[in-house]
Amino acid sequence: MIVMDDVSFSYDKTLVLENVTLSIQNRELVGIFGPNGGGKTTLLKLLMGFLRPTRGTILISGDSPKVACKRIGYVPQITRFDKQFPLSVLEVVLMGALSKLTPWGTYPADVKKKARDILKQVGLIDKEHHAFGTLSGGQAQRTLIARALLSEPELLLLDEPTANIDPAAEEDVYQLLNSLKGKMAILMVTHDLQSILHWAGRLLCVRRTVTSYLPSELCSHFALGLYHDRSTLQ
Amino acid sequence: MALLAGFAASITNGIIGSYVVVKRIVFIGGSIAHSVLGGMGLFLWLSRTYDIAWLHPMQGAFCAAILSALLIGWIHLKYKEREDTVIAALWSTGMAIGVIFISLTPGYNVELMNFLFGNILWISQSDILYLLGLDALVLGITLIFHKKFLAICFDEQQAALQGLKVHALYLLLLCLVAISVVLLIQTVGAILVIAMLTIPAALGSSLTHSLTRMMGIAIVLSCLFTLVGTIASYQLNWPPGATIALIAAMFYLLSFMRARSPA
Repeated sequence: MIVMDDVSFSYDKTLVLENVTLSIQNRELVGIFGPNGGGKTTLLKLLMGFLRPTRGTILISGDSPKVACKRIGYVPQITRFDKQFPLSVLEVVLMGALSKLTPWGTYPADVKKKARDILKQVGLIDKEHHAFGTLSGGQAQRTLIARALLSEPELLLLDEPTANIDPAAEEDVYQLLNSLKGKMAILMVTHDLQSILHWAGRLLCVRRTVTSYLPSELCSHFALGLYHDRSTLQ
Repeated sequence: MALLAGFAASITNGIIGSYVVVKRIVFIGGSIAHSVLGGMGLFLWLSRTYDIAWLHPMQGAFCAAILSALLIGWIHLKYKEREDTVIAALWSTGMAIGVIFISLTPGYNVELMNFLFGNILWISQSDILYLLGLDALVLGITLIFHKKFLAICFDEQQAALQGLKVHALYLLLLCLVAISVVLLIQTVGAILVIAMLTIPAALGSSLTHSLTRMMGIAIVLSCLFTLVGTIASYQLNWPPGATIALIAAMFYLLSFMRARSPA
């Protein structure tokens, strides 16, 4: 279980997150939405231990994020990557097992086998030797999900996995996430509220503070980017 | 002897140059290469002024390269927003210190001209042993750390999440860049190091989608440029370092034009 207790975070003197208290169950699929600059990515970075809260505590199955980080899978946006980087799909996926490298800097055979099994699972085994940079947006996103899965995460974090990909590929990504539902806790940042409503069990609106909603509670205003407090829900 | 030194430098140059190109730290490599002049000038001045026979400008180059690599790495990690300005300042500071010490050094500094612009024909047997020793060190470290270097070059966040010591690995990589710079000084000189560190790797990247293969291609190309450049310089009576760098640049230009030309 993930517990954030009275967490605040500031960049220099700018308060980004304030008094965030929430808990996420082990096998929950939670959607995270909110305005740009509202603190969504900061929330993910706090959970991964890349940032330290200025106040409050974060525990992932009883451990601090720094200790639990190897049990976290992270799927960043594909636009972050250099398309010309000379790297095969299999090599990208294997980066999900960096912690299992032998002292001689090689991956054990069982890790390589598992990486191929996961590539089969995400439908990309025929692309294992292709260059990562030549993949379509949807295929690249599934490769990054495969990389996260190789680390056998108990918490999977996704930062807008359906941004910059076409609708068919978007559906593939959602289907894949749906197949993972119930196997691990999944937190997914998205601007695509219409789609996430069908898949998520709960939604968190992040705009300095965090408010938790059930899909049925979500106001149609949010989909238009008109965020407001629960007290003003109609 | 000269070609053996060139080939020895080509091995590290092909491997480390590939990391420099994919990590897009060419500017950092350039800064390290130019700041070594400060160390070479200081050691030459010390050895001539105080008659310290065992001090050699290459030792100064090695110390200055490692020091500037660590300094630049620290700036990159702590002050990202001002990184390019500070690196440029270090680049010129190293050169300025070198020029001042050269002017203070008694005697004629033909030795230093060889370090600045390279003279592969000037290499001694002890230099070869020194080069091969550094080669072995770089190769050994790279064999063990290749996957980790690959990870920090491609995605530092993922590497950190998997528990890798990203900052330490980055500093280690910069130290390897520094050693490669010192190795290449013998071949093409401090001023032209950056050409040999980047051009073979850049050509390699246009021919393959695998970093390991890119390194292999860069090594072969680097050896080829050294061979052709050395022969051409001998035939034309041109400076070897500049000729090698010019041959590499010509290949790069041809490759660039070929890539740009309509099919």
